[in-house]
Amino acid sequence: EETGDDEGFEYGKGDFSVEHACKYCGVTNPACVVRCNVPTCRKWFCNSRGNTSGSHIVNHLVRAKHKEVCLHKDSPLGETILECYNCGCRNVFLLGFISAKTESVVVLLCREPCLSVNALKDMNWDLSQWCPLIDDRCFLQWLVKVPSEQEQLRARQVSAQQINKVEELWKTNPDATLEDLEKPGVDDEPQPVALKYEDAYQYQNVFAPLIKLEADYDKMMKESQSKDNLTVRWDIGLNKKRIAYFVFLKEDNELRLVPGDELRLRYSGDAAHPAWQSVGHVIKLTAQEEVALELRASQGVPVDVVHGFSVDFVWKSTSFDRMQGAMKTFAVDETSVSGYIYHHLLGHEVEVQMVRNTLPRRFGAPGLPELNASQVFAVKSVLQKPISLIQGPPGTGKTVTSAAIVYHMAKQGQGQVLVCAPSNVAVDQLAEKISATGLKVVRLCAKSREAVSSPVEHLTLHYQVRHLDTSEKSELHKLQQLKDEQGELSSSDEKKYKALKRATEREISQSADVICCTCVGAGDPRLANFRFRQVLIDESTQSNEPECLIPLVLGAKQVVLVGDHCQLGPVIMCKKAARAGLAQSLFERLVMLGVKPIRLQVQYRMHPALSEFPSNNFYEGTLQNGVTINERQSSGIDFPWPVPNRPMFFYVQMGQEEISASGTSYLNRTEAANVEKIVTTFLKSGVVPSQIGVITPYEGQRAYIVNYMSRNGSLRQQLYKEIEVASVDSFQGREKDYIILSCVRSNEHQGIGFLNDPRRLNVALTRARYGIVILGNPKVLSKQPLWNGLLTHYKENECLVEGPLNNLKQSMVQFQKPKKIYN
Amino acid sequence: DEVHVRQFAAQVDPQEAAEFDRELRALMQESLDSRKLELRARPTLNMMIPMNVFEGPTKDHLGRGIEGESGDETVDEASGGNKDVQVKVLVKRGNKQQTKQMYIPRDCSLVQSTKQKEAAELEE
Ligand SMILES: [Zn+2]
Ligand SMILES: [Zn+2]
Ligand SMILES: [Zn+2]
Repeated sequence: EETGDDEGFEYGKGDFSVEHACKYCGVTNPACVVRCNVPTCRKWFCNSRGNTSGSHIVNHLVRAKHKEVCLHKDSPLGETILECYNCGCRNVFLLGFISAKTESVVVLLCREPCLSVNALKDMNWDLSQWCPLIDDRCFLQWLVKVPSEQEQLRARQVSAQQINKVEELWKTNPDATLEDLEKPGVDDEPQPVALKYEDAYQYQNVFAPLIKLEADYDKMMKESQSKDNLTVRWDIGLNKKRIAYFVFLKEDNELRLVPGDELRLRYSGDAAHPAWQSVGHVIKLTAQEEVALELRASQGVPVDVVHGFSVDFVWKSTSFDRMQGAMKTFAVDETSVSGYIYHHLLGHEVEVQMVRNTLPRRFGAPGLPELNASQVFAVKSVLQKPISLIQGPPGTGKTVTSAAIVYHMAKQGQGQVLVCAPSNVAVDQLAEKISATGLKVVRLCAKSREAVSSPVEHLTLHYQVRHLDTSEKSELHKLQQLKDEQGELSSSDEKKYKALKRATEREISQSADVICCTCVGAGDPRLANFRFRQVLIDESTQSNEPECLIPLVLGAKQVVLVGDHCQLGPVIMCKKAARAGLAQSLFERLVMLGVKPIRLQVQYRMHPALSEFPSNNFYEGTLQNGVTINERQSSGIDFPWPVPNRPMFFYVQMGQEEISASGTSYLNRTEAANVEKIVTTFLKSGVVPSQIGVITPYEGQRAYIVNYMSRNGSLRQQLYKEIEVASVDSFQGREKDYIILSCVRSNEHQGIGFLNDPRRLNVALTRARYGIVILGNPKVLSKQPLWNGLLTHYKENECLVEGPLNNLKQSMVQFQKPKKIYN
Repeated sequence: DEVHVRQFAAQVDPQEAAEFDRELRALMQESLDSRKLELRARPTLNMMIPMNVFEGPTKDHLGRGIEGESGDETVDEASGGNKDVQVKVLVKRGNKQQTKQMYIPRDCSLVQSTKQKEAAELEE
């Protein structure tokens, strides 16, 4: 056998006992390895290609989308984070070497913007010789050496597939090794959700692992969003707290910051400033995509520094913990819900039960608009049943109906009513309507959102605590004032303050008729000792089951779930969990179990011409119009609708789709250009920006349209900037007077992706009040049966058009045969 | 002391390679785009290059290879000279500048230009 086994190493195994060993192959030569500098990663990789087209380190950076590295302390250059000599940018995909003037001195410089700084040219540097750090899928070999043949022989042989798999594994388990790939269970699919469950333990056994998967994914994703080299603008809030403003661009569209999110702001220090960091809460996001972060600590903040800050996401397990907690309570606590509700939720056969209550004489409520027949029917039936579903198609007044139900429940004297929804926006809207009936409402916000402005601030618990004006509260008042002025209290005062505050919160909450909070908020410790017999959950089709369970396990006897399973469901980020059924709401499962939703049938949003197609295709033709053509006439608006009285058209587009820069999304330039023309025509005819919404399913196109309009629009730039351009999903639950829908996909050989989901199409088509313009390629879209139907509908109504906007002509484009029947 | 050498190259799946290439390019493009968006205003030059780096003994560009002793790394006997060129890499450590000697291949574009310019200067 061959020799060469000189140092006791086995060939092809690698040496993983050393910390700086390449995590893929085990090469340990300090001159050949670099460390990934992403705080959550910090793994070492070598610069050999092994069996893959790129070197190990480049493979890792690309697969994990990490961008910073540090050299080994024993490497020729010593422990060095690779960064731009001028601006400090650490993104290795932008860095390259350049000789300083004519001498043999080289520095790292970033391609954008430092390489294009004019001053450099003036200084006589030869910028054309910039030499990228990553060349031919490998780090420059004179900087990070390629392991010798000997070293490579000893190393483990890894394939591209193994690399992909282990990178996938690291997302949820950073300590995983290649050996773990062989272990059973890693690739297993979780147990899928069922229609019925034996008992609440079985229910928990199915859902707990799915919530765990989603939580792991969420954590991985958010913690990988660190960002360096941020420029910060400082301000002071009304509460004297420091606020940092900065742009925290999302790399892909997965992460959406929302007010209340926690971020950590860091400064690594310089000669005049020590290293510093502080955690803070996002209090708002400006229209310019700037984040406002209210810092927790106001001392030692380097407010005279503006550049060179870093930001990390601080992930919180709270919402997932509360879901797990609710499932546990559901299983172990017999009083968590009534027996009837318990069996019903698990899908057991139970005898129909009616709630014995005296019904009110009229079903409307003070302070609310008159109810229509289907709304009255909904209120009446809900009050008599222990569990009911209300389906509210777009614009059918489900908030008003919900508020009326809550009003009558509260008047029955069964204790406080709990009202929830998955989103803060929906909770605020509901709280406002319920408060209009004269009921005493407390809106409970998460502690982290207390600084976030709210349209119903006067209803929030923290506001009421601060503004309670009685003499015995003066002690709390005094302490609060002291705290506001000094920023903190002595520990004994702090103790006293907390106790007083808790008592006051409790007192105010207990005296309310209705408590409003998000589903997750219902798990707030401040509600731990509260019991709610009657619970209403709005937008329940947008929450997953365990989330919906949180408000129910506080003693529910009568449950009302409001939603619309024909619109978009809950957002589940982890594909594995979504595949296993976590994306199905409790509302939907109850529908499948035979609970018939009560449907609100009169819509007050859309021009009758706009509601026709959605009614026929998503609601079996049952949607009636509560608004007339006259009420939705855009008087004084001169817009080239092909058919007067039908403010809609499908604008035939044949431009090609392209893959966006991020490689994960799509864009379509001709559609974007026509969106701008349509927007400009609307604006010129007197429509204001806030009336217009541009919907596009792809982040790539969204970014492109925003950019294109502000650069190419013929009117004032500011006007275009004020126009909301967003995904279908972020328009759910809202409306605009005019909607422009850009479909993007225009590829004969591929699917239409996102647009395939009928629920997404329903949402997109039902946002407009006065008019809608759809831009797309009929040849591609018509392959899908539902789109084929939509195109046929537009064609039959002479609203399928092409040509320039000021001279639209009926289009004779041929449709394709739909692939299969949509049911 | 002979070692049986296995072949490493030529095992790359072309489809995998194409896919990887696409992702790498996307990442580069995205990095570039995000910088363009971030830094609307061109930054000023903020580079302090200490003058003393330009002095010192590096006039001799035919420095020895870094692992000169092993013999197989640096000296290219056939061409009659060293294939590596010594340069100083200038890095920042906090607020301080530091240089380190490195050897880079003679055919690297970085030193080529330097050489050419020097040659041109000599001719003047
Ligand atoms: Zn990494
Ligand atoms: Zn390696
Ligand atoms: Zn730079």
